Amino acid sequence: MNFPMSSAQIRFATLWRRECNRFLKIKKQTIGAPLLETFLYITIFGAALGSRIKHLHGIDYILFVIPGLIMMAFSTNSFTNNSSSILQQKFQGAIQDQLSSPASPAELLLAFSLGGFMRGLIVATLTFLVSVVLVGLPVENVLVLIPSLALVGFFFSQLGVLIGVRAEQFDDVAFAQTFVLQPLIFLGGVFYSAALLPQPWETLTRFDPIFYMINLVRYGFVGFTEVSIGLSLLALTAATAALFLFNLRLFSRGYRLRS
Amino acid sequence: MKALAIDNLEKRYPNGVEALRGVSLDIEEGDFFGLLGPNGAGKSTLIHCTTGLAQPTGGSIGIFGHDAIDHYADARQSVGLAPQEPNLDWFLTVEESLDYHAGYFGMPRAERRARTKELLETFSLTEKRDERTRTLSGGMKRRLILARAMMHRPRLLILDEPTAGVDVELRLELWHYVQKINQEGTTILLTTHYLEEAEQLCDRIAFIADGQIVAEGTSPELAARFDVPNLEDAYLALVGRKELSRSHIELDEVEA
Repeated sequence: MNFPMSSAQIRFATLWRRECNRFLKIKKQTIGAPLLETFLYITIFGAALGSRIKHLHGIDYILFVIPGLIMMAFSTNSFTNNSSSILQQKFQGAIQDQLSSPASPAELLLAFSLGGFMRGLIVATLTFLVSVVLVGLPVENVLVLIPSLALVGFFFSQLGVLIGVRAEQFDDVAFAQTFVLQPLIFLGGVFYSAALLPQPWETLTRFDPIFYMINLVRYGFVGFTEVSIGLSLLALTAATAALFLFNLRLFSRGYRLRS
Repeated sequence: MKALAIDNLEKRYPNGVEALRGVSLDIEEGDFFGLLGPNGAGKSTLIHCTTGLAQPTGGSIGIFGHDAIDHYADARQSVGLAPQEPNLDWFLTVEESLDYHAGYFGMPRAERRARTKELLETFSLTEKRDERTRTLSGGMKRRLILARAMMHRPRLLILDEPTAGVDVELRLELWHYVQKINQEGTTILLTTHYLEEAEQLCDRIAFIADGQIVAEGTSPELAARFDVPNLEDAYLALVGRKELSRSHIELDEVEA
């Protein structure tokens, strides 16, 4: 049966399709490179270090590390896609085509957000599937895993949109990614347990919001966590909603998009 | 019905520059309207305010009866914009650029395909349909921008210096095309620095200077207003460069 779409549905589907089309056109860079990077991490930290560390909290080291890597792949790809896509379109002026259309600020924001979300989802899903085949990665708590990954992806999509809108040059995006995001992810416990750190590092790790995201995803996959799942999910939901509303306000005001 | 009704429009940028200072302008449906003025007079700002690319700081804009701020979706649905600077996405092909644009305006897929085919042929772009926009020549980019502006069949087409830097052949092609669609009912707002273009194409013309409309009328009315023989001299009078008038040179040559 053929369901005709409304004008608004066609508009939103087109905005979203365009964002996905952009990264799929350069998939060696946007999908292939992050996959290779993730597998290099698995090889180096999982295989090489795993042969010495063996277990953390009773879990195979490689299984302990992979959930964090999947979360890292989802977050960095969602972020990078949106920040660079918006900045590039601002540079080219191409964003004017969407801005002068009847699309609402909410439609524009959601379409940009979901473009990066899709890229993150593709890389994370491929990493997960290969991990299942190669090392038998389990899924212990699917009802925690799915909302956690969805929230992580959407949070970093929103963050990417925010940085892309604010950025005036590529250096601004690179700065946010290299000097803020990556240290927070690496120091959030992707490759280790916070309990193994000496003070004050163990306590400081708990001030890193990404520590809670990694633990949510790790709990979903292998059933181990160092934080409260309920509180972490609640905090992540609140942070994602707040960021979305903040971005929506920027889009409604036309901040650095409309003169 | 008024295609465009601008009332006391103001635009002040955050750096304090007043680009528009109380612009009022009415364009009737079916008009071919020219907006002339020196660089920095406020032409592009006025167009950007009309199309949602800039946010006015005062006044109102009505497009076929829809407020361009409060009911922007209905207003923008009626407008097609061919901007002065090529603003194509380098990642997209020619065909995708047209298809996505029409999608933003809610056009169903079958209609988009038919319209894309029609405009690719009209603008001699069929052979380039699968090429990425960044590989196109300047003239081809200009054709594509015009085709894109026409994709959703706008009732008001805004052409911001559409023939700047294009060859004679393309300029004449564009003139023929815009005259044809104007005769078919599309209202056109044209900004240009080519005065003969405005004189030949436009029913009515407005001069804008320093963010204000300073004169409006037909080409002969404007010449009479400035007490000069033609539109070019009226323009030179407006910008305070009467000494550049070619009428004086011609008269001097005759007298000599």
